[in-house]
Amino acid sequence: MSHGQTTLSFRENSVRALGDDALRAAMKQAADTFGTRRADAFAPVTAVEALRDRASAIREEVLKDLPGYVERFAASAARAGATVHRAKNATAAREIIARILSDRGAKRIVKGKSMVSEEVDLNAHLEAAGMEVVETDLGEYIIQMEGEAPSHIIVPAIHKNRRQVGKLFAERLGVPYSEDPQVLTKIARKALREKFLTADAGISGANFAAADTGSIVLFTNEGNGRMVTTVPPLHVAILSIEKMIPSLADLPDFIRLLPRSATGQPITSYVSVITGPRKPGDATGAKELHIVLLDNGRTEILAGESRDILKCIRCGACMNVCPVYRTVGGHSYGWTYPGPMGLILTALLTGMAKSHPVVDASTLCGACVEVCPVRVPLVPLILQLRRRKVREGFSGPMEKRGMALFGKVAASPFLFALGQRLAALFWPVVRVLGGKDVAGRLPAPARVPFRRKAS
Amino acid sequence: MSGADLAAHFLENAAKAAAGTHRVSGVEGLQGAIARIVPPDVPVHCPGVTEVEKAVAGLFADRRAEYAAAAVTVEEVFGAVAETGSLVCASEGGRAVQAGLLPSHHVAIVRRDHIFATLNDLFSAVASAPPTNLTLVTGPSRTADIELTLAIGVHGPEKLDVIVV
Repeated sequence: MSHGQTTLSFRENSVRALGDDALRAAMKQAADTFGTRRADAFAPVTAVEALRDRASAIREEVLKDLPGYVERFAASAARAGATVHRAKNATAAREIIARILSDRGAKRIVKGKSMVSEEVDLNAHLEAAGMEVVETDLGEYIIQMEGEAPSHIIVPAIHKNRRQVGKLFAERLGVPYSEDPQVLTKIARKALREKFLTADAGISGANFAAADTGSIVLFTNEGNGRMVTTVPPLHVAILSIEKMIPSLADLPDFIRLLPRSATGQPITSYVSVITGPRKPGDATGAKELHIVLLDNGRTEILAGESRDILKCIRCGACMNVCPVYRTVGGHSYGWTYPGPMGLILTALLTGMAKSHPVVDASTLCGACVEVCPVRVPLVPLILQLRRRKVREGFSGPMEKRGMALFGKVAASPFLFALGQRLAALFWPVVRVLGGKDVAGRLPAPARVPFRRKAS
Repeated sequence: MSGADLAAHFLENAAKAAAGTHRVSGVEGLQGAIARIVPPDVPVHCPGVTEVEKAVAGLFADRRAEYAAAAVTVEEVFGAVAETGSLVCASEGGRAVQAGLLPSHHVAIVRRDHIFATLNDLFSAVASAPPTNLTLVTGPSRTADIELTLAIGVHGPEKLDVIVV
């Protein structure tokens, strides 16, 4: 993940993505599958809306006193025997973790999927310090081998098809080519098992942190999260401060919502609740547990107009339904978090100067708001950011003039009707002059406009 | 819900998550089920600590103390949740929760009176003093990371059998 100050090239990336047939096929298949699975998973649940209301209220409650909950969590986790670290920004988080590992002479690190670790660009830093960092989630394992970043927060290698993975494994692991996901999965199991058993440390993220007990909670399907947190002698968990829930007793509603929203499963194969390191008499758990609480701009977001984005529980449902994400894929956004929640976080965490192009990556259709399990007001948040973008002078002069003109035309029934007629009249010319690029992407104007049919 | 209904509900949901499900009564019933589920002569890890485990530990010709070297782990677990069809594996009482993770086949025995109806029932029972590790296990290890196509047995067991006794 690049953290330079150069502006994100959302537009250029999107144009490239539109020309990538393999990517578009993969994204289409994924979008269709996700839609069906999510709907099927929620179908048997009674009172889904009440469930979303409760979860939303719990997240609101946390944001009302986030510093208080973080304090309570830190105290509870310390009481349970964990060492708690506070990292103000990405640099601090990287340094804290590198120091914990190097002080104990850790050389081989196995890692579970953690978007927060991507946010702080942890792997590159640890590798530069001479450590071997092995991603163990299958999707992460694939993209690490390819030298890519995740393109989805739940399914990191969603942009790749089975033939690409088969070829990659054959080339890099020297195994016979196969494009059967079951065979490819077994290859990864075999390659990674030895890494787990010989690792000096495990690094994980966390989906939730319970303030009353100091527990961290991880949702996983593959079992790598359980390996990372129980097999090596040292476990380092990194999580951003807004992952708090007030009490472990609040977890059930999130177990009901998160996997259904994320992958369309009633529950993930594994939900692990980890409270402190191994204690006398225990036969489970790392001997040492370090929890790194990352702020990296959250406190600032909390004080501002976009605070509701901190309710997000990172299920990825909003990206799965987003017409922009589904068309251009996650890499086009250019930073750690893609899709509707992602573009909001990107703008807030990396600054408008760098991120203003991704603020445009939404049609404001509201499909994301429909599916968000904790009722994050995604569309209003995106509109706020667009207003800020204009206020701070990041919209181009052409865009401003065009919008001013459109405003005038749309406000006058006469001009609007005239515009529609002109568009239909000149379409054949535009189509010929513009060539395949325009004709392929722009829909032809209707001969009889909808408003005339409707009236 | 009565104990019998709860057991049926739990097994139904566990089966939906692709676990093998079995319901037995008494020591003979349990031993019979284990003999059917666990292939003879494979290395088996069985802690042999609880009454239920002691009743079956003698059945295995190649019993291993180390779970990492075993093909099958046979153990009694802390409990189960009917709502989700989940096993509740806990570190309480010096249990190695990862013993059910490393071998490719996990056989978990649940006592009928240890089944919670809902997730809320489980968490209100454990939330005041949670063990070091509490893991809900629902079906075998799985992934859909390649083209969202389900593949079973990534890092955890590819086969999960649950027995209610």
